[in-house]
Amino acid sequence: MTPKECFIVGSGMYVPDTVIDNATIAPVLGILPEQIYRSSGIHRRRWAGSGTPTSALACTALERAMGDAGIKTGDIDYLLFGTMTPDRYIPGSACSVQKALGMSEIPCLDIRAACCNALYGIQLARALITSGTASVVALCFAEIQSAWLDLSPKSATISMLFGDGASALIVSADQNAGALEILDILLATNGSYVDDLGIRSPGTAFPIDPGAADTAECDNSLPRMVGQSVILQASRRMTAACERVLERNGMTIGDIHWIAPHQANANLLLQLARNLRFREGSGIISVLDEYGNTGSASMGMALDVLRHSAGIRPNDYVLLPAFAAGFTWGAGLCRASTST
Amino acid sequence: MSPSQRLLEFIDQRAKGLGFDNVDGNQDLFESGILDSFSLVDLISFVESEYALRVPDADIHPANFRTIVEIDRYLRVHGA
Repeated sequence: MTPKECFIVGSGMYVPDTVIDNATIAPVLGILPEQIYRSSGIHRRRWAGSGTPTSALACTALERAMGDAGIKTGDIDYLLFGTMTPDRYIPGSACSVQKALGMSEIPCLDIRAACCNALYGIQLARALITSGTASVVALCFAEIQSAWLDLSPKSATISMLFGDGASALIVSADQNAGALEILDILLATNGSYVDDLGIRSPGTAFPIDPGAADTAECDNSLPRMVGQSVILQASRRMTAACERVLERNGMTIGDIHWIAPHQANANLLLQLARNLRFREGSGIISVLDEYGNTGSASMGMALDVLRHSAGIRPNDYVLLPAFAAGFTWGAGLCRASTST
Repeated sequence: MSPSQRLLEFIDQRAKGLGFDNVDGNQDLFESGILDSFSLVDLISFVESEYALRVPDADIHPANFRTIVEIDRYLRVHGA
């Protein structure tokens, strides 16, 4: 009989040792350290050393998540990896994690939904488990974004945001102490905005001519962001997704104890809380101050912090909003199990 | 009260909080730092609630919100 319920039973995170604070990066980007904090809520971020593969960060996070869940690599029968900064163009980085951790010959799949990777991953893991396809799904989310950043004043508003890091979740049909039951995931996409956020090259629509030194072509390989479009759409779409998830589960924002969002920008998180009329206080989990925007890894990091905080109680409800390049966006709903 | 007056009050309040004495109708609100991506969200929320409008996604363009004159023009065209 296939299970009807599934749970996040383990989590872990890992960040590289090198701390890059605003005072270090601001002069390079031609802005003031306080401007970075004021417009993003970020004080510092971590950067991995040159040549570090993204999968190496993911492996450490996954080992910690397995330890947290009390499982071994042999218990995992499906591996999902979400990243925007893979080790290789082909194959996906999940294969590198499988090899590095000595996992058995299980299915390994990379997800390419940018900062919504965690939400897509959790939805896929839930579907794999409730369909009987898998029993224990490992999810890795990792980024080494420092390798892609343009450290020049023209890219200051983008490059000041991003950090490197990894998170991992273990999803299973069997709950344990500290488990979060996955109740609902809503996801949506509007491809009209494909060029408002993302990186174009390397891609078949934007081929790289090795002999060309064309500025526009070079710019295609750098992160691009139309700030006003991103902020406005993110604010609207995440709010609407949270409201829809609450509505279809017969709940209101008053029933929610925690929000563990994608860590895009502290001002955006405040705006989201205001739009949702979420209670004042510390209910929104933020690791932006310490780690910046870690892309795919950020929601898993917020979940790891929440799961290991003293504040969470049995039956607490958690909202998981996210917004990403595409644009794609959504919201998840979880409940702390009674055996927390 | 005309749309311009209510809009002016909103922008003036924000500008004074940032240390600006007054705002010219044709002053670029983004270039001057009176508006940024986040306060644009607040401005659009204000416009939507104040004038009972829904600003469609396609209209979220700096050209419509760069100056008080342009915002006022947008509001008039859309029946505010």
